[in-house]
Amino acid sequence: MVSFTAGDAVARRPAKPGRLSRFFFAGNGAGYMFLAPWLIGFLGLTLGPALASLYLSFTDYDLLQSPRFVGMDNYVRMATGDAKFAAAMKVTFIYVILSVPLKLIFALALAMAFNRGIKGLPFYRAVFYLPSLLGGSVAIAVLWRQLFAADGLVNSVLSVFGIDGPSWISNPNYSLYTLVVLSVWQFGSPMIIFLAGLRQIPQDMYEAANMDGASKARQFFRITLPLLTPVIFFNFVIQTIDAFKAFTPSFIISAGTGGPINSTLFYTLYLYQEAFGFFRMGYASALAWVLVLIIAVFTAFSFLTARYWVHYDE
Amino acid sequence: MSAYSVSRRGLLGAGAGIAAASLLGLRPAAAQQKDIRVFWWGSQERADRTNRAVDAYKKANAGIDAKTEFAGWSDYWPRLATRVAGRNAPDLLQMDYRYMFEYARRGAIVPLDQYLGNALKIEDFGKANLESCSVDGKLYGINLGVNSSCAVFDPAAWEAAGVAPLAFGNSWDEFVSKCAAFAKGNKRKKFYATMDASGHEPGFELWLVQNGRALYGEDGKLAFDEKDAGNWFKLWAELRKSGGCVPPDVQALDKSTLDTSTLTLGYAATAFPHSNQFVGLQQLNKAKLDITAFPVTAGGKPGQYLKPSQMWSIASDSKNPEIAVKLANFTVAEAAGAKILGVERGVPASSGMRELLGPDLDEVSKKVVDYIGKLGPYTAKLPPSPPKGAGEVAFVLERVSQEVAFGVSPEEGGKKFVTEAASILKRG
Repeated sequence: MVSFTAGDAVARRPAKPGRLSRFFFAGNGAGYMFLAPWLIGFLGLTLGPALASLYLSFTDYDLLQSPRFVGMDNYVRMATGDAKFAAAMKVTFIYVILSVPLKLIFALALAMAFNRGIKGLPFYRAVFYLPSLLGGSVAIAVLWRQLFAADGLVNSVLSVFGIDGPSWISNPNYSLYTLVVLSVWQFGSPMIIFLAGLRQIPQDMYEAANMDGASKARQFFRITLPLLTPVIFFNFVIQTIDAFKAFTPSFIISAGTGGPINSTLFYTLYLYQEAFGFFRMGYASALAWVLVLIIAVFTAFSFLTARYWVHYDE
Repeated sequence: MSAYSVSRRGLLGAGAGIAAASLLGLRPAAAQQKDIRVFWWGSQERADRTNRAVDAYKKANAGIDAKTEFAGWSDYWPRLATRVAGRNAPDLLQMDYRYMFEYARRGAIVPLDQYLGNALKIEDFGKANLESCSVDGKLYGINLGVNSSCAVFDPAAWEAAGVAPLAFGNSWDEFVSKCAAFAKGNKRKKFYATMDASGHEPGFELWLVQNGRALYGEDGKLAFDEKDAGNWFKLWAELRKSGGCVPPDVQALDKSTLDTSTLTLGYAATAFPHSNQFVGLQQLNKAKLDITAFPVTAGGKPGQYLKPSQMWSIASDSKNPEIAVKLANFTVAEAAGAKILGVERGVPASSGMRELLGPDLDEVSKKVVDYIGKLGPYTAKLPPSPPKGAGEVAFVLERVSQEVAFGVSPEEGGKKFVTEAASILKRG
């Protein structure tokens, strides 16, 4: 609404507004009008709360009492005296480092299989995309228990071979890896993007390579991979950010505890516990900003290295 | 340009329309003076009973509207706290002994003394049941039911293993040897005599009290030391070793809900819930369950205590506190309401309601009432109010108990737990 009025003013009395508003609104009224629903949402629901949380990260806000300024205390605590913070960092980094490459490899392999042109592709595409839609649902907690609990399906299969498996999901040595498997299982969206990327690669390149007698493996490493690097890069960045922000799998499978023994304590789950379990909104806000920083650094790093390995075919 | 201005006017009109609609939408809510909102935590069974009671109240009191909502225990507290912070608290809300002090001292809930005798007719609750819902001498909660810790077991499973199950007055030593005998006699695969309760705060607390200690002192500090905690972990380490209690990776499946209890999941023949949960637990289990007291310490003191399983409190933001109090009164002190709630939230604090409910109780509820009745010799007085941070300490107990179960020595576990718990309390 605000942008609309300003644009309106420009249209009628072009001389009056200052330089700044001319820069923003001159002739762009309609554009801002169309953007308004998103803009209002962005300012009111994203930017506003984000800035508020930046302020709260320097306070000891606990929801029931008004916030008190404590300076850098929250950040100092994180850096020096919080073992649980360190545990959450470790779990999150292991998760990111394992799940992202595995998921991308898996997604690419399936995309390549689909790209060969099989019958009923739309059907299979939908079926393989399904896990991505289910991953965050509560039903998964039940399903994962059916699979990985002491008397679950995995152990039933193992017992056929005479192996007495542990309760994977509730054993701190394995529980995080069941979550990695869950993440890899949700390969749907990178797979679709890979599939689109594979379709972009000109067929004549393969024909030429065939003619020259290049093996399939050589074709993959010399044609497919290089031409796919922009898509790989995109998927890598998006999946990495997603993995850092992972919350639901652990929240529903460990019932919000991050247990056993903090073995599935994702960073965001720790943040949630501090905020909504123990009502330390100030500390949780500080945690949130550190996560923003970590993701920003990672993304920036990815973009910096991109020039060395991402191949844009101009 | 003209097309642009038309669409602009159209959009403006639409915007005005939306604004008007939202105003209209708000009007009736603001005009309705007898609206209250009710919020509690608990199972579907509890929700069904509570909704029926609220409907009955609405029917009897035309013009009053009460909107109900419920959540699971762990979702309930964040939701309540965010609403209180947003000045949007439900009028009538379910409160827990642990959180009552914090909410009362911060002025989020109101004292109810002014309603006593008029809107709130709970004189027959008795002194103990009023005091247990008071903070600094003022009444902040309306007791919804009395409960205590207990042991719930599957008698058939114990019989099949050829061992007499836990009974009133059994000592911890007897319990340990019974569980070991169970492990020898039991034929079922991946099935054990009991859950591993080493990370279970109520169990640890009552064991401490039996041994002349307590979880927290009047000063809000820890009232036990490393050695006590180490001994508690040792007790369970012994059970683990004999195969009497479930192994650690099975216990970790237990998410402190009734449906994930190792008893419900079919791994253990004994669990240690709160007595009011017996009703819900029986509903989830095919096997016919029975209820008894925790083991006692030979030569020790009584360790159990009766506490309000939950209470009704009124938010200080409530515009209709009187209506909220009356609805609460209906559920705990009037026959029609109390009958609907039954003993699902615990045994009614009102002696009148207890007598009234007596003859109509089903077998399961009767067991709960009988249990509370027999508990007298095993009960101590209510411990001092838990300090700020107590909730987090309970989490730490669970985690350290898992560390011990997965390999850390009990002594080291005791040290670890006390160090971490003390630092949490210091931080508050």
